[in-house]
Formats: sequence, C-alpha cells, structure tokens
Amino acid sequence: MNGLMKLVIAATLFLAPMLLIACSRETPEQTSDPAAAEGSRLDAVKARGNVVCASNNGIPGFGFIDENGNHVGFDVDLCRAVAAAVLGDADAIEIVPISATEMGATVQSGDVDLLVRTVTRSSSRDAKWGNFAYTMYYDGQGFLVRKDMNVPSVLDLEGAAVCVTQGTTTELNLQDFSNQYDLGIQAVTFEKTDSAVEAYRNGQCDAFTTDHSGLYAYRSSLPIPDDHIVLPETISEEPLAPAVPHGDEQWYDIVNIVMSMLVYAEAYGISSDNVPTAVTGNSKVDRLFGLEGSFGQETLGISRTAAQDVIRSVGNYAEIYHRSLGDDGIGLPRGDNTRNALWSAAPCSDCPKGGQIYASPLR
Amino acid sequence: MATTPRALTYRGIPVWRHALIIRWVVQIVSALVAVTLVVWFFANIVGAIQERDIPAGFGFLSREYQTPIGEHFIPYESSDTFLYALLVAAINTVVVAILGVILATMLGVLIGVARLSGSWILSRLMLVYIEFFRNVPLLVQLLFWFFIVLTLPPVREGYVFFDRIYVNNAGISMPGPVGSSLASASAWLALAAVSVGLGVLVHRVLTWREDRTGRASYPLAAGITVAVACGAAAWLIVGSVVGEAPLVISSPEPYGRFGRIGGGFTIRAGLLILLIGLVIYTSAFVAEIVRAGIQSVGRGQTEASRALGLSGIDTLRHVTFPQALRVIIPPMISQYLNLTKNSSLGGAVGYTDLTNVAITMTQTAPAVSIFLLIMLAYLAMSLTWSLIGNLYNRHIRIVGG
Repeated sequence: MNGLMKLVIAATLFLAPMLLIACSRETPEQTSDPAAAEGSRLDAVKARGNVVCASNNGIPGFGFIDENGNHVGFDVDLCRAVAAAVLGDADAIEIVPISATEMGATVQSGDVDLLVRTVTRSSSRDAKWGNFAYTMYYDGQGFLVRKDMNVPSVLDLEGAAVCVTQGTTTELNLQDFSNQYDLGIQAVTFEKTDSAVEAYRNGQCDAFTTDHSGLYAYRSSLPIPDDHIVLPETISEEPLAPAVPHGDEQWYDIVNIVMSMLVYAEAYGISSDNVPTAVTGNSKVDRLFGLEGSFGQETLGISRTAAQDVIRSVGNYAEIYHRSLGDDGIGLPRGDNTRNALWSAAPCSDCPKGGQIYASPLR
Repeated sequence: MATTPRALTYRGIPVWRHALIIRWVVQIVSALVAVTLVVWFFANIVGAIQERDIPAGFGFLSREYQTPIGEHFIPYESSDTFLYALLVAAINTVVVAILGVILATMLGVLIGVARLSGSWILSRLMLVYIEFFRNVPLLVQLLFWFFIVLTLPPVREGYVFFDRIYVNNAGISMPGPVGSSLASASAWLALAAVSVGLGVLVHRVLTWREDRTGRASYPLAAGITVAVACGAAAWLIVGSVVGEAPLVISSPEPYGRFGRIGGGFTIRAGLLILLIGLVIYTSAFVAEIVRAGIQSVGRGQTEASRALGLSGIDTLRHVTFPQALRVIIPPMISQYLNLTKNSSLGGAVGYTDLTNVAITMTQTAPAVSIFLLIMLAYLAMSLTWSLIGNLYNRHIRIVGG
C-alpha cells in the first residue's frame, strides 16, 4: 500500500465520524421523562420518596437559605405542602436552585416535579413550559423612594431619575409607564441589581424600580428601611404561580388542589395548631380534612387525610405568607383589600374578603 | 539456475515520498478538514436554532425599540427603531473610545516620561502607579470608581460652582453649546468643517511654497485666519437665514420636584466613571510602552544631542521621541483596541454602551442576530483603529535610505 493511499484512508477515517455526527443531528433525542415513560409522576414521586422542586436560594422571602443552611421561604413552603400531601412528609423535598434563564428548560425537560421560583405566569410560558397552577402571589412592578421626598403617588415621579436593572421586562415597563403619563423619567440602567440599589441608596437616582416583593426585600436590606417607602401603586401585573411539566394531568390536579387546601384552610379559619382530627360538624371543614365525604382524593391518588398533613406541617396560606413575606419575613403588607388578601365567602368574621387569592370550591 | 542480477536502475522518487505531492496532499486534506469543521459548526448552530424555535433573522431592526437608553449623544426617542437604537448605542461606545484613547495617551505619555525622570521619587511614584493599575482587574477598578463617585453628594445637595457648574453623584453639568435647531446647527457644523478644511489646504500650499522658494509665508497663521474667517462668515450667513444664532450657550438648571439638572452639557456619572476607569487602567500600559520606546533609542543619540547643546526637553522632542515612535505605535494600537473593547464593561457602572444596550435588546429581539451585529460593530471599530495606526506608522517610517 502506498503512502498516498494511507493518507486517503486516514483522512476518510477522520472525516467519516464527523459527517456521521453532522448528519445524525437531524434526529433529536426525545426528552426522556422517566415519570411519563413508566407510569404517572405520582408513582415516580412515591417510588423516589421525595418531591423535586426547582426554586431559588437567593430571593429573601421567597426562596433563600437560613442561618441553619435550610431552604426556606414562600416558594419552598409551597413545595413542602405538595410533599406533605403526596408523601405525608413535608421534609421529603429536594430543592434544585436554578437561575431565571433556566426556568423554561428545567420545567420543560420534566426533570423536576414542580417549578416554584417567583415565576410570572404568561400565555407563552403556559404554552411552552408546562401547566401553571393557581396564582399564589400577585406581584407587580413598583417604585421605592425616599420618604423625605414626599412623593404621594407614582404619577408624581415626573423628571425623576430611576435606577433599574438591565435586561429585564422592568426596563420596558418603566419606559411604557413614563411615555404613557409623559413623566420624562430618566432611566439609569445597571447590569447588576446590587449596583442599581447602591446607586439609589446614595442618591444617584430618586427611585429604584422592580417588582413589589423585590422592593420590600431590598428595602429591608437598607441601613434605615424606614427612611424609604414603597409607593402603593404597581405599573404591571406579575402573577406568580407554581408550574408543573406538561403531560401528566393527575399531577397537575394534585398540585392545584394542594394550593387550594392552603387557601381554604385559611378561609375556614384552620391553622397548623387547630387541625381537626374528628368530625367538627362544619361540612366544608370536614370534607377538606377527609373526615366526611370526599372532594376527589381517590381519583387524585392522595390520602383522604392529606390536608391534615399539609396544614399541620406547613400551615395555611396566611401562616405561610406571614412566616416569609409578612411581618416575620420581609415586611410585605397584606391588608384586607390588597390583591393578596383572600376572596372568600367563607363564614368567618375576621377573614379579609376583597382580595384575589382564591381557589376553586372543594366539593 | 541463473539469477538475474537486480537492476540498480533509478526509477525516480516514489510518489509517496515525493515532497511536492506530500505537500499538496497535506494542504488539501487540511483544507477539507477545516471546511468540514466550519460547515459542521454552522450547520449545528442553524439546526439548533430551527429545532428549538429560537427566533433569528433581522426583521426586528425596523421595529420600535420602546426601551430607554440612559445616555445618548444624538437625539433618541423610545419610538425609534432597533436599528437607530443600535446606532445610538454604537455612538456611545465610539465616544468613550475616542475620549478614552486621547486622555489615556496624554496621561500615559506623561507618566511614561516621568517614569524615566532623573528624580528618584517621581520615577518611583510612577512605578507604583503603573504596577498598581496594570495589575488590578479593570472591572474591580471600575466598581471602585463607581463607589468613589457615589460618595459625592446627591443632586439636591451637590456642589454648585459660579452658579453654573453642578457637580454631584449623578454627573457634572456645565454650560455648553446647544443647537437652536437641528437643521441650523448641523448646517453650520458642516460649513465649519469645510472652513477648517480650507484652512488646512492654505497651510499646506503655503508650507510647500515656503519649502520651495524659501520665502517666509507664515503658513500656520494664514491657515488659522482663513479657517476662522470662513467659519465666522458661515455663522453669520446661517444666522441671518434662520434668524437666530446656530448654536446658543445653554446653562444647566435644576427642575422639578427632584431637582434633577436639565439643559447645558452634562457628563453623566456612568460616562464619567467608565472614562476614569478606562483611562487610568490603559494609561498604565501606555506608560510602559512609552518607556520601552524611549529606552529603545540608543544612548548615543541622547549623548550626541546633548553634546550639540540641546536641552533635555528638546532632546526628547526632536531626537528621542521621533525615533521611539516607530517602536511605540504598534503596541499602542493594540492598547487602543483593548480600551475600545473594554468599554463593554460600561453596564457595570450604569453607562449604556453598545453591549449594555444589546443585552437589553435580547428581551424583545433575537439574541443571536443582535450579538452578531454588535460583534461586527466592534470589529469595525477595531479595524478602524488598526487602519489609523497603520497609516500613521507608514507616515513616520524611515524614508529613503
């Protein structure tokens, strides 16, 4: 065999795999979802023994790590509630911290059972990513200003310099708002939120804008939080809801009903320390806690008394809210008629009734 | 049995050892491999883009951008298109690059010369400056200057000099020329540029005459006179046509509830911080290049110059520096390229440079297309610096011989 021949063969051997790789790319692998392939996600979760939630570890109030190294927060509690309902153990969770850009791909791939990460539901996300359960927190973009500037409303921000983080819808909303009311707001854009807050703190900007929940979180980190106020109005709607992967309706229903349990427990005045274990006579309470009748536990594949486990270990919506977002957390007010109050016809005297937190009736 | 003796006839170099053939085969095979790799790479990208439904294409360029751009040197409204917004952002980067290069060169040359000064203390101080700023990451320096500028008082408590100049942590505002209308201002600016061109032409012609005939022709004075006279004439003509002066001096003034400064000429904090950071960082490198350039000129040159009675400054100006320039220019150009590229860190300190705006754009337009465009924009800027450098290098090379 002569040298030329050797070269040709070597070249062919070298090139062939590449061509093969180049061609084989045409048939993408189907994203394998272990749960979907071998039965329901519920079975997979039970076999695995824990609920895997994609969440966050850096947003105060929603998902962060406390001084003992535990994942805590509003979003984490929603994950715990699902684990309590399905496995009877609120601690049987695994938190996968992900960044905002990974949210879509993570839930789409089906690698996690639940996405609870301050994610705003939207129609395209619903279509592409997965199914969104009930909105558990109504957020919206607002403004943090210095109290001594005496700004009564967002419409009085005329001519203000506003610090904003770049690459977020926040920036777009700010411009829309400024144009709509002809406020001539001067945006000062920063790559990192920390720099934007720092510039606001030192007076380079008159206001800082992001979602209300974020504003309260950052406000609580300022040296004297009381020198700053969050203006009451919002200029956008950001409904935050948990999402599950597409393709398993039973699992989607379970997550939705667990969210309802939290809301209804609050509406019926049941909290973690008065969970009934015997018939109370109030048929709604008895049905929720599996003491009488059914709201569909059998079809869903959860235990009759799942709500007892959920409320006892995680608490009702109000408890979850106050622990992480309210007075014990980052100080987000939850007044009677704010969006995040209950809308409820439940017969309790001190329940707020004018809000938007609501779940379908359990019957 | 008789064996035929093996003929020792020479049949030429076998084909597989033929140098020419081997050379060609190697070339062809490596070309094939390179082409395959490139095709495979791009086919993969295009395939992945289609498969994952990632939006691409350039249709967005004519859409309205609808997003704020904090700093702009040409008029900008949020209803302008993406293409125009990219231009606004590119001009922001070009402004930083040009100002940065000029200031870094001036500061760097001063420091480089001072580094070689006979004064021990000055030389050591410059050494500390160079080593410090050269060896700390630029982003860290930028954030440092960011916090330094933030320690200035906020706008309502800021310093006011002469009732006209406002200094605070949002920037520096001072009286500046503002076009009374876009048309008249640009008309006069265009005519002023022509006037300067005329002045340069007159200077050239008179220099040539002076060189040829030896008669004193005062080229510089004549050139400046012509330029100023033409510029003033243009001012009067444009002014009388429009009915008001093409440019007026506008003074900054606080307005509104928040006391922000409007009018006049403002260098905003973002630009200020980015410029300070880039200039100080790059000047340290420039200083080293200048030092190396000066030291590359033989000691004999200096000695000869001093022996002829030239002062230290004159030696530097007329003997050492012109020769050092040939060594200095090529590495200097690469520093200019670095400065231009480093300006992409502007987002960290609140300056809307090209990269900063591009990142924001990916919210509402295909990221792949945008980044392809801004890569081309940076490439164009860098190639322009290289071109200028090469032309200048050719201008100062040793002629004759």
